[in-house]
Amino acid sequence: MFKSKDKTNRRKFIKTTVTTALGITVFPHIIPASALGKNGQVPPSDRIVMGAIGVGSMGTGNMIGFLNKKETQFVAVCDVDEKRNNKAKQLIDQTYKNSDCRKYHDFREFLENEKLDAVSIALPDHWHAIISVAVAKKGMDIYGEKPLARSIKEGRAIVDAVEQNNIIWQTGSWQRSVPNFHHACELIRNGRLGKITYVEVGLPDGGKSIGTPPVMPVPEGLDWNFWLGPAPTRSYRGVCHWDWRWIMDYSGGQLTDWAGHHVDIAHWGLGLDRSGPVEVEGKGIYPREGIYDVAVEYDIHYMYENGMKMRVANRSRLPQGMGATWYGEKGWINVDRGGLTADDPKILDEKIGEGDIKLYESKDHHQNFLDCVKSRKETITPAEIAHRSISVALIGEIAMLTGKKLQWDPVKEQFIGNEIANRLLFRPYRKPWELDY
Amino acid sequence: MKKIISIWSKLLIIPIVLLLTSTLFNACQQQPKHKVLIVTGQSTFNWEASSEALKQILENSGLFRVNVHISPKQGEDMSGFNPNFSNYDLVVLNYNGDPWPEQTGISFVDYIKAGGGIVVFQSANSAFPDWKEYHEIIGLGGWKNRDEMPGNYLYWEEDEFVTDTSQGYGKLFSKAETYQVVNRDTAHPVTRGLPERWMHADDIIINRLKGPAQNLKVLSTAFSDSLKDGTGRHEPILFTVEFGEGRIFHTAMGYTVSDEEKSALECVGFITTFQRGAEWAATGSVTQSVPVDFPNAVSTHHWENFLPLSLDELMAKISRYKIGMSRKYISDLSNRIRKSDGSPETLLEFEKKMLDFLNSEATIDSKNFICKELSWMGSGKSIPTLEKLAKEEATAEMAAFALERLKVE
Repeated sequence: MFKSKDKTNRRKFIKTTVTTALGITVFPHIIPASALGKNGQVPPSDRIVMGAIGVGSMGTGNMIGFLNKKETQFVAVCDVDEKRNNKAKQLIDQTYKNSDCRKYHDFREFLENEKLDAVSIALPDHWHAIISVAVAKKGMDIYGEKPLARSIKEGRAIVDAVEQNNIIWQTGSWQRSVPNFHHACELIRNGRLGKITYVEVGLPDGGKSIGTPPVMPVPEGLDWNFWLGPAPTRSYRGVCHWDWRWIMDYSGGQLTDWAGHHVDIAHWGLGLDRSGPVEVEGKGIYPREGIYDVAVEYDIHYMYENGMKMRVANRSRLPQGMGATWYGEKGWINVDRGGLTADDPKILDEKIGEGDIKLYESKDHHQNFLDCVKSRKETITPAEIAHRSISVALIGEIAMLTGKKLQWDPVKEQFIGNEIANRLLFRPYRKPWELDY
Repeated sequence: MKKIISIWSKLLIIPIVLLLTSTLFNACQQQPKHKVLIVTGQSTFNWEASSEALKQILENSGLFRVNVHISPKQGEDMSGFNPNFSNYDLVVLNYNGDPWPEQTGISFVDYIKAGGGIVVFQSANSAFPDWKEYHEIIGLGGWKNRDEMPGNYLYWEEDEFVTDTSQGYGKLFSKAETYQVVNRDTAHPVTRGLPERWMHADDIIINRLKGPAQNLKVLSTAFSDSLKDGTGRHEPILFTVEFGEGRIFHTAMGYTVSDEEKSALECVGFITTFQRGAEWAATGSVTQSVPVDFPNAVSTHHWENFLPLSLDELMAKISRYKIGMSRKYISDLSNRIRKSDGSPETLLEFEKKMLDFLNSEATIDSKNFICKELSWMGSGKSIPTLEKLAKEEATAEMAAFALERLKVE
């Protein structure tokens, strides 16, 4: 589906006026002082009108990040947990000193009613694809959390929807907007280590165990069945917000949670962030008891077309621990949130000068998204790149689950000669949910 | 008459021939090669239950023929106690009691010096406080409530082994619990191919072991938690000693309360390391493979009766599964599939059992679990059964899940 859009027109302040499901036209009660465009404020006509779907910890964090920007105007929130919804609305209303923020339980209603410039999405992984595709089809730009999707096919569907609808996508892989990571990647890309032969990516050690808690009443305000959505029917056992990431129906654990950060950075340094490995083999340690069933330890080996090898493992298994470590002819560089280390450390003092490759520069991940919404240029972490980052983890997960060495075709995004592994490229949905891809 | 014989021949001889062939086949496959003597009869713990278990464990490997030599009871006349060690390839010590007659001790030491194999089982490391050579043979040992011990402590602290010459008693027990074993030597025949870290169930950790520790190689340690009466350091739990030409495998695991309470011995990790340690002590090498359900770094695994379940037995266990119960049996099946050779023939064997399962009496949760497994490893053969289950409300969701994956090619 292709369509042309006039973004400038859509960003008019009048757009915050909506028709509700009841057919009543709602106007903001008061026009905030900032709406007049005085004192360095952005005039309403230039504001990016936003909403948020999923307002848990990450969703609220991102929302606050955007609320702090002068050029945004938040008008609607959506969550299947009414308590979170109320809190998010309260936060927005307090910011604007009014009570205008609209609140939705069902994202389909949200999309039916809201005509927004951009949506911030932060959901459990098993919901990423359905909602991202639906938002993209409405032509709204998306700031979406990593990992891009729970499965390869869902990730590809999001990328296609983003491209076909000409929307701007930024992934929450914010490390790209931090100088440490940017500098490390420029050093690697400019050959300061010589040819890179091997890369290690250390991600957090996995998980705790809580056994299997008993079935318990669903907390007031939480629509548990909607929260499950496309995932299999399950009784509520107290595991929902945040801890969904330890259950395979919703997430791949630390591996998929963090690949969108450090694999993303490893790829960036290598210039392989729109490609992928050609071979994968891995071992995972899976708990035999309890409700949490993701691999608590993982050690996955990859090979790329150029013969370069990569190992992605929980940090305790690796000499440099967390972060991305590139090994080249002249030593190694590790980058993590704490900073850079290298052997030889002098490499780190090297400047990137004229004539060197300069990587995309962003100093503020949320701002980069807003800038791109205005300029219509690609963000620092577009959907395709996010998809390639998480694909590394997802094919690794399949290698662990099948227990086999697999050949991967990064162009067709299929395993070669392994029908069984290919079946794991998608997790079928519970009715009535469908992904239009 | 002639005719009757011929009928009999059809009815009887064929089964007999089959029986003979299979017996011969089994015999050729796993003729027990090594002669083992378990020496027992007096012990701090339940020697009857543990010796019976150790015998079964060794025989289950198919490698050993086991005799058990039981000493007189504590306080009785020991003068006639004289096992013929040299008749055996391996002697398993499950004894800590009254001293042996001098000549028995001499023939024991001669047996080892000449290349005999020894397995020191758990509390045997408390035996014979006044026998110097015995200390050298077991490497490390200890006696509760004694003031001094010969030799030094040996433990793992801050990434290295520490030889601690400080004075003090040897050996205490921490409470029985589930703990993680760390293989410090992953190249030794006994530990090669095992997970580097694995969970061991319901055992005590013997700590503050002390001794001459000559020619001793620690294979595995376990953290002795100071909050649970332990030392706060990693204690050796599996180790080897070389003495003369002999090889000694020493396992500090295997707490046995009674016939009913012996789960430390049913731990697949204990069974496997015991079988491998015994083979190494007897021969110097290990030919046994690592079981697919060896415990991992986070989960224990038991074999009731010291043997893995057959696939049919496993499916029978799974048929009673309900969400909320232990996942050990369903995890076991997933693991067997994952660790199989993955060939179409092997997967078809699994699939056939799984389809039979879906067509038989079993809980809804277990059927749903089987549907999910079939979704990735099944074939077109699963489709009719899944289509049937898709029409039944309780299984509709997971049957549809499986069908979607199997039909997308």
